[in-house]
Formats: sequence, structure tokens, C-alpha cells
Amino acid sequence: MENARQRKLYQLLFIGPAVIFFTIILVIPFFMSLYYSFTEWNGVSTTVTWIGIENYKKIMFNDPDYYKSFLFTFRYAIVSVILTNLVGFLLALLLTQALKLRNILRTIFFMPNVIGGLLLGFIWSFIFVKGFASIGELTGLAFFNLPWLGDAPTAFWGLIIVTVWKGAGYVMVIYIAGLTNVPKDMIEAARIDGATRLQMLYKITLPLIMPSITVCLFLTLSWGFKVFDLIMSLTKGGPFNSTESVSLNIYQEAFRNNALGLGSAKAVIFFLIVAVITILQVTLTKKREVES
Amino acid sequence: MKKRSMMLMSAALALTAVLSGCGGAKDNNAANSPGASSPAGESPKKNVTIKMFQFKVEIAEQLQNLVNEYEKETGVKVQIETVGGGADYGAALKAKFNSGDKPDIFNNGGFSDLDLWLENLEDLSDQPWVKDLVKGTDEPMTHDGKLYGMPIGVEGYGFIYNKDLFAKAGITELPKTLSQLEDAAKKLQDNGITPFINGYGEWWVLGNHFVNLPFAYQADPNAFIAGLNDGSQKIPGNEVFENWTKLFDLTVKYGGKNPLQTDYNTQVTEFATGKAAMTQQGNWTQVQISKTNPDVNIGFLPMPISEDAAANDKLFVGVPNNWVVNKNSAVKEEAKAFLNWMVTSDTGKRFITQEFKFIPALTTISATEEDLGALASDIMKYNQEGKVLSWNWFKFPQGEASSKKFGDSMQGYVGGQLTKEKMLEAFQSTWDSLKK
Repeated sequence: MENARQRKLYQLLFIGPAVIFFTIILVIPFFMSLYYSFTEWNGVSTTVTWIGIENYKKIMFNDPDYYKSFLFTFRYAIVSVILTNLVGFLLALLLTQALKLRNILRTIFFMPNVIGGLLLGFIWSFIFVKGFASIGELTGLAFFNLPWLGDAPTAFWGLIIVTVWKGAGYVMVIYIAGLTNVPKDMIEAARIDGATRLQMLYKITLPLIMPSITVCLFLTLSWGFKVFDLIMSLTKGGPFNSTESVSLNIYQEAFRNNALGLGSAKAVIFFLIVAVITILQVTLTKKREVES
Repeated sequence: MKKRSMMLMSAALALTAVLSGCGGAKDNNAANSPGASSPAGESPKKNVTIKMFQFKVEIAEQLQNLVNEYEKETGVKVQIETVGGGADYGAALKAKFNSGDKPDIFNNGGFSDLDLWLENLEDLSDQPWVKDLVKGTDEPMTHDGKLYGMPIGVEGYGFIYNKDLFAKAGITELPKTLSQLEDAAKKLQDNGITPFINGYGEWWVLGNHFVNLPFAYQADPNAFIAGLNDGSQKIPGNEVFENWTKLFDLTVKYGGKNPLQTDYNTQVTEFATGKAAMTQQGNWTQVQISKTNPDVNIGFLPMPISEDAAANDKLFVGVPNNWVVNKNSAVKEEAKAFLNWMVTSDTGKRFITQEFKFIPALTTISATEEDLGALASDIMKYNQEGKVLSWNWFKFPQGEASSKKFGDSMQGYVGGQLTKEKMLEAFQSTWDSLKK
């Protein structure tokens, strides 16, 4: 009895604060924006008019920019998920080998995560605009002379470069953790049986680190969909609105266009879509996890 | 405007604003005790604090010095909080209002921004400084004959040009028509000087300032805008817009490379260091230009769109922003007294011209070229000769909402995704979709 009560107390003590903050910062605002999505409100006025599903209708039938931003976000999310995980996994493979500089390199690759997204954006916008231009002038290489942030296709790839550079280090750490947990005896047994390195990677390592892959895919996918600060600081959605992500579109609608109700409706739709996608992804990859 | 140069700070704050904006809005009912956090309830008392929320990052420090002086003189404390950046200031201000932490004095752009905030604003028509306002500066903040804000100053823009580079290219007569401008650009180019540096990566350089030209050049801008609103005027096919695209083409043709990734900072630094001879900016760049290159010799050129020298020799002058008082503030009398002191006392006047470097919007405050620099004195000269055109972007439907979309379309034109006709059609559909 005493034990059970104590456990309850501990639960309250350790989880309580998190639950409170989670409720205040996420749950309550979520339901509020659900409410606002059915209203017309400019964000300032004291009158909030209930208009039912008008906002949703407007988005469905009358907002090409929103669809455009969805298209961009999907493209961005897919490409960044693939590349971030690929690069992160390769780095992890490399840095689980017996290298002298292993620990230093791990730290270096993880470093970009310590810098916030906004700051990172400003650093990179300097690199793209000033750094690349100077290198281009010196070497004459066409790659550096591209208008990196000034043209729709290059701006997209510019964003991808920064995203991968930032995210790869993080997923690398998760993959490293997964890789070090792969039992040595299995690898050894496989080697004795004459398996090639690639076979070992596909048949043993990958299935065994599936939990890490689930986590990494989930993380990168949600990063990809939620991207805001990086775009805000790198391109501000430009040029010609070609790099406007859904979150940026929502922000513009709510705060620049003074349509908080409409912006909330967009956010709700966005939430539903992202929720469905991530749930799908997690269940799919969960199925493929195996016990070692 | 220069406020946007502090994107870093503002964007960071904007993020927090998004959070607090959502989180705060629920308190709407609970937080209806305006100015509750100020210690004193009764009017004119010494021991009060006025909360001021402003966006001019450039004057944040100087403003602090000014309120320190005020506290020394009167004992009234003014607490300043600064958030830079146009739209982001708006978002932060909304967050503040919705969380109940309402400032007593804040900024408002006028026109559609005034409509948005009107229900919170104190009528300032009876203030002593109103009669001294420079003609026209009360227009943005006037609603139904009442004045709701005090203009912080006057600003102007046009092409800023580098006098030394012009001399080097042998340009003796300043261009006042479109073809003269093209000749000048050619001469510059022949001498190995980039004629224009275009900050077209910034939506407001295009969507506020540049797109303002075809509105300001209309015979009657306000009538034209009213015409657009009631459908009797159209942007495609309008002669002034057609002419204006020629100037647009000219700046791109003779401009530096990659205009769409040239942001404000790059634009101003490249110009200040002499890498280009002309750039479209305003007198607010003075501080940054002289800091980057103290020896640079600069002035203003008009932005011609046709061959009529008299009609084109003009600069675009307007009120960038205004101080407003929260109507529900417990210390609004003190707030009004402070604003009055700022423009009538010798200390306040000195700060406005010598420290803030504002071109005063009141006839009772005088400023010299030494106070304000070469750019502002050019603006004042044009202003005195009446050779000015108006600022119109605050009159666009929902203000910045239109400006941003105009800017996007213009970027599309520069980048080659839109033709001239498509761009003008896009302007029209933006206008139609956002007007109420």
C-alpha cells in the first residue's frame, strides 16, 4: 500500500509539471485555435464573429496560394527526409568505425543543432549571398555563381542544403546509438558464414536498427512539415512566393493579412494532414522492427 | 524602411509572438483590466509608469536617454520596449494586447492600420501640438475628422546616388526624365560602374516603395484608389502603370546581378562602398551609409517614369509611423503629457532632430543639415519647394497584405515567371481579392 501511494506521488511529482506546461502551451491553444477557426477575427478587435465553416469553405475553394504552399512543403519534406537520413546514416556508419578523430568528428557534425534555426538561417544567407559570390568571383565556378536565394529552383535546394546540414548530425547521433547496440556476435557469425559487407548491412544491421529509423523518420518528417524559422530567415518565402511553407502561409494569413480566424482554420487542416501522415509512417516502420 | 533591417531580432520575437499570440488570446475576457499593472490609479500623479512599445530599433538607445531626462524633470517613469520590423511588430503588439499586457503608447502606421486598431485609440485632436503639424502629416491618422496619432516624423525616398561616381562618369546634369536616366546609366556602365543596386529581395522595397510610384503619379492618387475600390478604375491598361514598368525594366537592365537575393543590408552596404551608383532607398539609410563609409558623397535623385521633367522631378515623402495612446490606459493623461513634452520641450526637440535624426513633422521644430545629414536635407529641400508625391501603400486594401502580394508578383516579373501583363493582372486580382 505504502509503495503504491509513493509511486503515485512520484508520478505526480515527475510528470505533473510537464503535463501542466504541455496543457498550457499546447493543449489549450490547440482548442482555442479550433474555436477561432470557426470565427472571423482580425486579432485585435474585441468582437469575434462566429461564422461556422465559412473559413474552411474559403480555403477549399478559393485559396490557390495555400495549395501552392502545401505542394512546396511536401516536396521539401520528402527531399529533406530522404537526404537527411541518408547523410546522417552514412555519417553514423563512418563514425562507428575505429577512427582516431571519431569523437571530435561526432561533436563537429552535431554542432549545427546547437545553433538555433533562425541564427543558422542568417549565417547561411550570408554564406549564400556573400560567401558563395566571393568564391564564385575568385574561382569562376558556375556552382558558386548561381543566384542561390534569388531564383525559385536554387532557393529550394539552398534550403535543402541547410536543412540536411543541420539535421544530419542529429539523426547521426540516434543512428550511432542504434549501431552500437547491434550485437557483435551476429556480425561475427555472419562474417564467418561468408556474408559480404553489404549483405550484413541489409540483412542484419538495418533490421536491427529499425527502431532508430522509426524515430529518425518521424523526427525528420515532422521537422520537414513544420519548417518555419529557417525559411523565415533565409528566403522569407520568396522569391515570388516559391518557398512559402504551409506554416509560413498560416503565419502570413494570421498576422500580416490580419485574418486570425482564417489562419487558424488553415492550421487545423494542416494539423490533421500532418497527423495522418506521421501516424501512417510510424505504424508502417513499427511493423518492420525486429527483436534481436 | 529601416526598421526591417533588424530582421533577426524581430523574427525571433515574432516566433515568441506566435506562441504567446495563441496562448494569450484565451485571456481575452479575463484580461480586460487595461493598464492594470501600472501602480497608480488616479490621474496626474508622479509615481506612475508609462509603458511604451515601439518598433524603431535605431532609436531605442536614444529614446531611453530621452525618457531618463523626462524622469529627471517630472518623476514620471517611461518604460520602453522595442520590437523591430513591420509585420512582426504588428504580431507582437497583437500578442501583447491579447495577453493583457497592454502598452500605453505604441506605434501605428495609419490608414488601414488605423482602422484595425481604432477601437483602442485615444482621440488626440485636442492636444496642443496638433495645430503645428506640417500640412498633410495628419492625414494617415485622421478618421471622421478626429486625429488619433502623432506623426513621429517625415521620411522620404527616391534614388540615392553617389555624387563622386556620377562625376567620374562625366554626368554633369542630373537626370530628370526617363531617357536622361537611361543615358546616365549608360554612361556609368561605360565607365565600368554598376548603375543600380536593387534590393528586390525585400518585399517592402518592391511592394511598398516601388509599387507606390504608379499610384503617386496618378493625377489624384486618392481618387484612383477609390476608383479601384469601387471598380471604376483598372490597373492593367492604366497609362501610368505602363510607364512605370519602363522604369522597372530600366533598373533591372542596368542593375547589379541577382537582384532577388539582394536584401536591405546588402543593398545599402554595396551602395555605401561605391559598388553601385544608384539605389532606391530613403533618408533612413543615412546612419548606416555614413557608418559604412563616412566619406561617401550622396544625394537624392527623382524616380522618373516619363519624359516630363517638371512632373517627374519629385521625391516621395510621407509619415512613416505615428505615436498613439491606448484609450483604455489608466495613465493615458500622463502618456499624452509625455508625447506633448517630447515635441514642445527643448530637450525633446533636440532629441528628435539631433539624436533620432528625424525630419520633424512639426513646424515648431527646426532642423539643419548638420543635424540630419545630406539625405534628409535633400528631402527637406524638395519638401519646401512642394516637389513631393505621396505615400500610398497604407491605403492599399489591408495594407501589408496587399503590399506583400504586390512584392511577390514583382519578384515573379524580375525572375521571368510573369510577363508584364500578367504582373499587372496579378496586381488587379490582389486588389480585388483583398478589398472589403
